[in-house]
Amino acid sequence: MAFKITSSPHVTKNSQTATVMQRVILCALPGLVVQCVYFGWGSLIQVLLAIAVALVAEAAVMKLRKRAVGVALGDYSAVLTALLLGIAIPPLAPWWVIVIGTLFAIVVVKHLYGGLGNNLFNPAMAAYVLLLIAYPVQMTTWVAPAPAAQYSPDLLASISQIFLPGSGDINLFRLGIDGTTMATPLDTMKTGLSMGLTSTEVLAKPLFDEGLSIGWFWVNMAYLAGGLVMLKLGAIRWQISTGMLAALFICSGIGFMMNPDTHGSPVFHLFSGATMLAAFFIATDPVTAATSNRGRLIFGALIGVLVYVIRQYGGYPDAVAFAVLLANLCAPLIDYYVRPRTYGHRSGN
Amino acid sequence: MLTNLEQLDNGVVWRIPGGIHPPEQKHLSNQTAIGTLPLDEYYYVPVPQVGEQASMAVAVGDHVLKGQPLTHGLNQHHLPVHAPTSGVIKAIEPRPSNHASGLPVNTCVIQADGKDSWVDLQSASLETLSNDDIVARVQAAGVAGMGGAAFPSHIKLSPASDIELVIINAVECEPYITSDDRLMREHADKIISGMEIIHQVLTPQRIIVGIEDNKPEAADALRKALSASKLPAGVARVTVVPTKYPSGGEKQLIQLLTGKEVPSGAIPAQLGILVHNVGTCAAISDAVLQGKPLIERVVTVTGGNVAQPGNYWMPIGTRVDHVLKCCGFNPEADQKVIIGGPMMGYTLPLIQVPVIKGTNCVLVPSSAEMSVDAKELSCIRCTECAQACPASLLPQQLYWHSKSGDYDKASDYNLRDCIECGCCSYVCPSDIPLVEYFRVAKSAIRNANEEKLKSERAKQKFEAKQARLEEEKRQREAKAKEAAERRQSNMSGGDKDAIAAALARVQAKKAVSAATPEAGADRKDKVADAVARAKARKAAQAAQSDSPAPEQNQANDAQKDKVAAAIARAKARKAAMQSDNEAEVDTNQTSAASSQKDKVAAAIARAKAKKEALKQALQAEAPTDSDNKSADEAADTLEPKADDRQARIAAAVARAKAKKAAAKDAGVNDPKGQIPEQNSVDSIAQSDPGELSAEEAKKARVAAAVAKAKAKKAAQQAGDSKSTVEDTQAESAEPKPEVELTAEEAKKARVAAAIAKAKAKKAAQQAGEGQGSDAHMQKQPADVNSAEPDSNSEPADVKPEAEPSAEEAKKARVAAAIAKAKAKKAARQDGEAQRPDNAAPLNDERSEAMSPDTDQSEQAPAQSAEEIKKARIAAAIAKAKAKKAAKDAEDKE
Repeated sequence: MAFKITSSPHVTKNSQTATVMQRVILCALPGLVVQCVYFGWGSLIQVLLAIAVALVAEAAVMKLRKRAVGVALGDYSAVLTALLLGIAIPPLAPWWVIVIGTLFAIVVVKHLYGGLGNNLFNPAMAAYVLLLIAYPVQMTTWVAPAPAAQYSPDLLASISQIFLPGSGDINLFRLGIDGTTMATPLDTMKTGLSMGLTSTEVLAKPLFDEGLSIGWFWVNMAYLAGGLVMLKLGAIRWQISTGMLAALFICSGIGFMMNPDTHGSPVFHLFSGATMLAAFFIATDPVTAATSNRGRLIFGALIGVLVYVIRQYGGYPDAVAFAVLLANLCAPLIDYYVRPRTYGHRSGN
Repeated sequence: MLTNLEQLDNGVVWRIPGGIHPPEQKHLSNQTAIGTLPLDEYYYVPVPQVGEQASMAVAVGDHVLKGQPLTHGLNQHHLPVHAPTSGVIKAIEPRPSNHASGLPVNTCVIQADGKDSWVDLQSASLETLSNDDIVARVQAAGVAGMGGAAFPSHIKLSPASDIELVIINAVECEPYITSDDRLMREHADKIISGMEIIHQVLTPQRIIVGIEDNKPEAADALRKALSASKLPAGVARVTVVPTKYPSGGEKQLIQLLTGKEVPSGAIPAQLGILVHNVGTCAAISDAVLQGKPLIERVVTVTGGNVAQPGNYWMPIGTRVDHVLKCCGFNPEADQKVIIGGPMMGYTLPLIQVPVIKGTNCVLVPSSAEMSVDAKELSCIRCTECAQACPASLLPQQLYWHSKSGDYDKASDYNLRDCIECGCCSYVCPSDIPLVEYFRVAKSAIRNANEEKLKSERAKQKFEAKQARLEEEKRQREAKAKEAAERRQSNMSGGDKDAIAAALARVQAKKAVSAATPEAGADRKDKVADAVARAKARKAAQAAQSDSPAPEQNQANDAQKDKVAAAIARAKARKAAMQSDNEAEVDTNQTSAASSQKDKVAAAIARAKAKKEALKQALQAEAPTDSDNKSADEAADTLEPKADDRQARIAAAVARAKAKKAAAKDAGVNDPKGQIPEQNSVDSIAQSDPGELSAEEAKKARVAAAVAKAKAKKAAQQAGDSKSTVEDTQAESAEPKPEVELTAEEAKKARVAAAIAKAKAKKAAQQAGEGQGSDAHMQKQPADVNSAEPDSNSEPADVKPEAEPSAEEAKKARVAAAIAKAKAKKAARQDGEAQRPDNAAPLNDERSEAMSPDTDQSEQAPAQSAEEIKKARIAAAIAKAKAKKAAKDAEDKE
C-alpha cells in the first residue's frame, strides 16, 4: 500500500492564528465593559458596527482578490481591528465616522498592503489617525465620565446620537456636574498647562479624583488586567508592553521630577488616555511590530517615548496612534539591526 | 581548555534557548523489556559504500555466516557491513532505500537459512589491546553512530586534536522513542564498558552522560553501573537535564552541559569535546571485547496503529514491513510510517526497506496523534518560531527570504545554522511548514554552491588543458627545429657552400636590380651595419630603462636621440647614395618644386620626430644612475665609429644639396623664405661658404663634414651636460638650465633631422621617379648645424614655398598642412605641459614635466618660448644658409 509522505515535524502544537486573535479579543472585553460603564453604550455600539463593517469589507476584498473568504473571516484579525478602532473612537461619534475608519483600516491599510501579515501599519491606528485628521471635531468630542457627568447617555440616547447625528445636542453629555463642558483628562491637562495652570491645579478639577482621571483610570486598569491575562495565556510577549510602559514611566518621571508644575505625573500618564490599551492591545500587534525580543523592547520603548513627547510637547492631547504608526515605520529597521545572536556565532547579524 | 571542570563535576546544567515540549508518548513503548522478532526470510543489507570505499567480499550464491563481513574496505572511511544472519546471498542489486526518497541503493539480499549461525568471534580483553587495536576492532565491527547520523565511530575515536570531554548522549528527546531508554535500563553495564574503552582511547578528563529527567530508571541504572566500573573515580558522571526538545541535539547537549557553543561551521572536536550515543557505547563494547560486529540494534516500534509497541533487537537489514507485521500493524487510510521520531523522522514511501544502523524507531501513528494537514496561512510575524528556535535564529525572516527565493538573504540570516529540529514548525499558529521551506532553501543553496564549484573545476580543467596543448605545441616545434638543425649539421661542407653561394647569388642579383652599383652595395652594408648598431643601442637602453628614476630621463632622452640620429644618419646615407647616383644622371634637370616638396616633407618629419621624441621621453621612465651612465658610455663609444661613415654620408648629402641649390637658384627663388631670415643668415652661414672648394661636390662634402662635426659637438655637449646634471644633482639637485636646454635641443634636433632625412629620402625617390630631381637634402645642414630644435612654426614657413607646379606640389601642400597641424599640436602640448609645473607630472606629455627639479620645471615656460624663437631663427638660418650655399656653388660654377 502507499503510505503518506509528509515533511517533519509530524506533530504540531495545537495553536492557531484564530485562537491567538480570539484570546486578544476576549482579553479586551473587560476594558470595553468598563468603558461602557463610564461612557455609556456608545462604545459597544461603535464596536459592533465596526465589526460588521470590517467583516463585510474583508469578505468583499478577499472575493476581489480571489482568495478564500472563509479563511480570512475565520482568523478574527478583521474583528480585532474593528474592535480596537471601535474602542478608540469617541463613544457617540456619528456612525459614518466608524464606517469610514473601518473601511479604511481593512481595505486600504490592510489589504492594499497585501493582507494579513503584510501590512506595514497597524490598521486600527492608521484609521484612527485618518479620522482624527479628517474629522477633528467628531473625534475629540468625548462624553464626560458617568460619575462626573451631568447627563449620562442611555442606550437610546447613544443610538440616536450615533445613527442620527444632530438629533440632539451631543454637548449635553459633555457637561460636568459643575455645568462646564468636559474634555478628556489628557486634553484638560494640556489645555490647563497651556493656560498657565499647574498640574496640581488641573488635577483639582472635577474630572479628577485624587489625582486620578475619573473613569479613565479604571478603563486603563481593565485593559491592564486584560493584558496581564494575555501575557499569562501567551497570547502576547512581555517585551513590547514592558518597553512602552517603562519608557513612558521613565520619561514622565524625569519630566515630573524636573518640573512637577508643568508636567503630568507618571501615574497620570500611565492611567490616562489609551496608555494601557496601546501597551497591551495595539502596540503588541505582531504584524507591525519588531520581531526579535530585544527589538521588541526597543520598539515598545520607542512608542513610550513618542507618546510622552507628543503628549507633553506636541499638538495632540493623546499620542498613541501617532506613536504606534511612527514605531511601525521603524520596525523593519529595528529588525534589520537587532538580531539575536545565532548559536555558534560571536554576535548578532 | 576546560575551565569548568568543577561545574561539570557538580552537574551544573546551562540553559539553552528555545525548545518545545511536545507530548512525549514514551510510555507506549518503554513499559516492556527489549524483545526479539522472529527470523525473517530475507534480509536486505545496503552496501552503499561498494564502488567507492569498499568492494564486495561475497558473491551472489555464496553462503554467509552471521557476522561475516560482506564488504572489503578500500580506505579509512570504510565502514564494513556484515551479514545479520546466516544464509545465502541471493542478489546484490539496487533496492529501495530506507530514506525519505526511497531511491534505490546497492543492496545485498540474504536469504536466511534459519540456523542463524555465527562466525567465530574473537573476543579480547581491554588490557591487551593498544589504542590502534581498539580502533581497528571498532572499524572491523562496522560500528556507526546509532543516534541517527550513523557516522563511522572509528573516525570519531581517532580525532585530530585532544579530546578533553566526552559526552555520552542519553537524552533521547524525541517523543515516542525509547530504544536508548530500554537499552540503558537493561544493558547499562555494556554502555559503561563502552565508556571505559572510549576513556582508554581518548583519555578525556571527564566523561559525562547527559540524560533527560523523564528517564529516571535509566539514569539510576547507569549510575549503578558506573559505580561498579573500572573508570577512575571522578572521571565519569551522569548529569540529568530537564526534559525539553531538542536537548538531545549534539550542539544543544554541549551547550546544556558545558555552556559552550560549537562555533558555526565547526565540529565539537575543535572544542575538545566528543559526543557519542549510548547505543554506540554498547556497540563499541561488543565490538572491542567480544569482536561482535554491529549487526543488530534496538529499535522502538510504536504508535497508535501498532498492536504490540515496544523495543526489539533487530538485525540490520530486517525489512520494515516484516517488523510491522510482527508487531501487529493495523494501517489506516493515509497511514504514515515514520522512521525516527515525530519531530525529525521521515516518512517512508515504501516499507519494503531495511532497518539500518541509524534507525532507532519505526513510528506508525494514528491520525489522531499527528497533526492534521492544515492549510498554510499567512505569517502574522508572531515570532513564536523565533522563541522556540534552539539556535536563536529568526525563522520568520528565513521564511520570508526562503519563500521568495532570496537565498542570499536567507544565508545572511544564518540559514545554515538551522538544525532542522522542527520546533518552529511545531509552534507556528499559521501552520507554515517552516522546516520544509528551510530544507528547500538549503538544498538550493547547496546546489548553487555545487554548480559554482563545478563550473570552477571545469574552468580549471579547461585552462589546464589549454596549457597542456600549448606545451605540447611548443615541444613539437622545438623538436622540429632540432630535427632541422640536425639535418643541416649533417649536410656536407660542399652542400653548405653551395647554399651559401646560392644565397650570395640571389643577394647579388637583388643588388643589381636595385640599380645600385657595387660600391653602393658595399655602402649599403655599412648602412645596415649602422642601423643595426643603433638599434642594438636602443634596445640596450630600453632594457636599462626598467627601473624608474625620473631625474635621469633627460639623459636617457639624449641617448635615445643619439640612437635615432644614428639610424637617421644611416638612412640618410643610403638616400644620399641613391641621390648621388641619380644626380650623376640628371644634374641639369633639377626641379624647384621637388626640392620644396622635400622641405615640406622634412618639416612634417621634424614635427613628427619631435612628437616622437616627446613620447619617448615620457615612455622612458629613466634608468637608474649607473644604468644611465653605462648607456652613456655605450653611446660615446659608438659615436666615433659612426663618424667617418657619417662624414661620407654627409658629403653625399652636401653634394646633392649643392646641386639642388644650384638648380633652384637658376630656376625659382624662394619668395618668402629670404626676407625674414636674412638677418641671421650671415653669422651662421659664414662657415659654410668658406669651406666650399672649387669642386662643388668636394666642397659640399667638407661643408657636410663641418655640419656633422657641429652636430656631434652638440651631441657631446648634450652628453656632457647630462653628466654634469647627474653630478650636480647628487650634490645640490640644481641643474644648469642653460646647458640642459641646449642638450635637449640638440637631442631633439638630431631626432628630427634623422627622421626628416628619412622622409626626404623617400621624397627624393618619388621625385626622382617622377621628375628626375634629387636635391632633397636641403634641410639637413640646417638641422645639424644649428643644433636647434625644429620649431613648430617651421612648417608654416615652409608652406608658401611649395610650388603648385607639379603634382608633387599639391601633395606637398597637403603634407605641409598636416605638418602645420602637427606642429601646432606639439606647440599646444608644449604650452600645456609646461603650465602645470609640478602637478601630475606623469600625465603630462612633455619631458620637462618628468623632471623632478623644480628649478627646471619653473623655467619650462620660458624655455619653450625661447625654444620656439630659437627654432624659428634656426630654421631661417638653415634656409638662408642653404640658399647661400647654393649661390656659392653657382658662383663657383
